[in-house]
Amino acid sequence: MIAALRLDSWDFPLFVHVLGAMALFGGVGAILLLSLAGQRMPEQAVFARRTAFVTLLAVVWPAYVVMRVGAQWIFDKEDLDPDMPTWISTGIVVGDGGALVLIALTVLGWLALRRKPSVARYFAGLAGVYLVALVVAWWAMTAKPGA
Amino acid sequence: MDKYEWLLFLHMSGAFLLVGGIVVAWTFGIAAVRRELPSEIALLMRLTGAAAAAIGIGMITTLVFGLWLVSYLDFYKWTDGWILAALIMWLVAGPLGGAGGKRDKETRLLAQRLAAEGDTPSAELRARVRDPIALSLNVASSLLALAILVLMIWKPGAGG
Repeated sequence: MIAALRLDSWDFPLFVHVLGAMALFGGVGAILLLSLAGQRMPEQAVFARRTAFVTLLAVVWPAYVVMRVGAQWIFDKEDLDPDMPTWISTGIVVGDGGALVLIALTVLGWLALRRKPSVARYFAGLAGVYLVALVVAWWAMTAKPGA
Repeated sequence: MDKYEWLLFLHMSGAFLLVGGIVVAWTFGIAAVRRELPSEIALLMRLTGAAAAAIGIGMITTLVFGLWLVSYLDFYKWTDGWILAALIMWLVAGPLGGAGGKRDKETRLLAQRLAAEGDTPSAELRARVRDPIALSLNVASSLLALAILVLMIWKPGAGG
């Protein structure tokens, strides 16, 4: 209902936010698939780790920036009460917390590639956890609990 | 959560699977073009299969829950221009993506065979991963999916 009644001026920022979020979901899904493949096929592990790390830098980080810029753009247009609705708080936690997760993934991915291959399993685990967090965020953003 | 919120969440989940799957498929497709070893190309093309599954589930989910939303909400009609345009694009995007995916599957099978036969770079495989027909089909279906997303957000003519 809220989506149907929103202001026209929100359309482009919303498009930027949603497209970035979908690309972020796909990018994190890609690095998770590559990480799992690397774990299951030791002969392809180095290639899978390298491709996952490049995907993190070339797809996931840019998608995160697009998603976050769109989110901030919409947030600035909204007239929010001092008490923020739960669904926006959830989005902010996953959105801003996502930067910390991506920094951790970048460090783990680099370590797995250059220093300590065994770290790759933590890279895969963190990517999986972040993917679940993104699902929770899109549930909160669409279902808007407490709105 | 009421019925509208569930329907919207499930519709959006389909859209996330669809567009997310397209991003995964393009990521692996571009990575495959930059590789030479058949075993590496085979791995990437095999993982693209997971993306294709997500795209297929996403397409069906967006359609089913999208149509359900239209019938549930009074202020949208089946005959609204943006809904009809999205449905037509959905009908065109599916076969285009399917045809591109079929050609990609043939490339994967070739890569797997070459990987098993010594894993040496092959001019035939190099040409197949750069197949302009598959590329055109995949670009067209991806652009249609993007256009559908644009329609879903702007809803031209809906007066929202």
